[in-house]
Amino acid sequence: MSRILLVEDDEPIREELSELLKNAGYETACITDFASPLDEIMSASADLILLDINLPGVNGEQLLREIRRTEDIPVIMVTSRTNELDEVLSMSYGADDYITKPYNPTILLLRISAVLKRSRGNNVQTSYRGLTVDTARGSLSGERGELILTKNEMLIFRTLLERQGKIVSRDELMTVLWDNAEYINDNALTVNISRLRTKLSDFGCDNAIETRKKQGYILI
Amino acid sequence: MSFSRFFRDRLPAAGIYLAVCLLALIFMKASGSDKQGMIMVGILMLAGGTAILIWDYFRRREFYSRAFAALETADKKYLLSEMVPQPEFADGEALYEMLSEACRDMYENVAEHKRRSSEFREYIELWVHEIKLPVAGMLLMCHNDGDAGERYVSQIRRIDDYIENVLFYARSENAEKDYIIKPVSLQKAFGAVAMKNMDALNERGVSIVTEGLDTEVMTDGKWLEYIMGQLLGNSLKYFQPDREPEIIVSAEVFPERTELRFRDNGAGISASDLPYIFEKSFTGENGRERSRSTGMGLYIVRSLCERLGHKVSAVSEKGSFTEILLTFGKNDHIKMEDS
Repeated sequence: MSRILLVEDDEPIREELSELLKNAGYETACITDFASPLDEIMSASADLILLDINLPGVNGEQLLREIRRTEDIPVIMVTSRTNELDEVLSMSYGADDYITKPYNPTILLLRISAVLKRSRGNNVQTSYRGLTVDTARGSLSGERGELILTKNEMLIFRTLLERQGKIVSRDELMTVLWDNAEYINDNALTVNISRLRTKLSDFGCDNAIETRKKQGYILI
Repeated sequence: MSFSRFFRDRLPAAGIYLAVCLLALIFMKASGSDKQGMIMVGILMLAGGTAILIWDYFRRREFYSRAFAALETADKKYLLSEMVPQPEFADGEALYEMLSEACRDMYENVAEHKRRSSEFREYIELWVHEIKLPVAGMLLMCHNDGDAGERYVSQIRRIDDYIENVLFYARSENAEKDYIIKPVSLQKAFGAVAMKNMDALNERGVSIVTEGLDTEVMTDGKWLEYIMGQLLGNSLKYFQPDREPEIIVSAEVFPERTELRFRDNGAGISASDLPYIFEKSFTGENGRERSRSTGMGLYIVRSLCERLGHKVSAVSEKGSFTEILLTFGKNDHIKMEDS
């Protein structure tokens, strides 16, 4: 389980955020005393830090610089300011991502999991039921040869595969697709999923994707 | 200042002078001076008087014509006293003193208002930053509450949109440079905007087509996102119930510019409204008939575009489509620094 450190001075947000992350299967730690945040950050041994830019008495960008002197831990900067300068500064100080309040919770979770994945290296699952998944080629290959998936189908398949055996909501699938510049609507998502099902079952993977009413889909 | 107007001013003085001359000549005659001497004195007196008049005229004229020239070329006319030399005649000095005093007061007034307006703007920025915290908190709460909370999300998003309007209006009205011009990916900017409006777009079943967005333009990313957000918001407001809503966002790169077209198949804008849509507080037929419109959205869009050096224009046909064209120059940022 990944441990996420929340450096956020607004208490309601900190608590809701913590709940959101716990529900998504992360372990969370919070800093509540901002007298010496750097020491607390260093001793928290987190896998990822969500760092607010506006903190009492200290600037998040400054803090990021201090962290980067010694640590390589992934950091996502969070701010309610909407100007380009903060983003440019944060990225140049070595932030892994930057997100503005109010954030869409689904996107926040997506970003967190993307950053964590990147920091762990590419040890993502690359096989499914004996098939080799080749994202770059957009194909699955096995004894029966090669199954070519469209970009949308591959994105859906990968998202389901990463959480194999767990429910992935339509909203999450949609968010992943939109995050990859595929702005499909609700109907198109349904069509894409049923096409993916048909392709998989034609390729020998029967009942690969199950529908859970009002919840989402599971890759079995 | 014409000489005749000046002379009319001096008429009483000239009259007294001539009367005194006449009296002097009469005295000379009474005391038995000869005729030639009297003519000589008369000519000298007249010549002297005329010379004084002309000299007086010219030194005034020099001051006033310089002052008028300065007034004409001045960009801030209330700084006039700084631009004219101090006159050396008494009434001119008095005038100059009054002018300096008035100008200084005006300048202080202007400075005071500038300070207040920038303080107010700073406060607005701070306020926006603060109010975003509870908005962010509420969105998280809605998400954590599951289905029960989802109901509130669209209203909270509306609040957030209105907050953004305030922020960008404050930015568009003030001359401070709070933008950073750098290459911005159209794909990334539109992606962020689309993602932000994903729920609303899906609710209406809007299909989005993008073409050629895989390019970069020189602009400020956050401002561009705001501009695109306004355009998307407008499209969402005015879709027609009788057809499948569609938004086409396409970019085309030319050697000297990049054109971004934002087209929807919504209600369109009537030909009589079209020339005014970027005007402040203009609410056309659509704004009145369909939804409460403040007439600020496109006005802010145009102001921001002007500040960034981009061009914005619109083409539309009532009942069929609206297309907003944004033109990004290759060197917009350079032009802007000149101005």
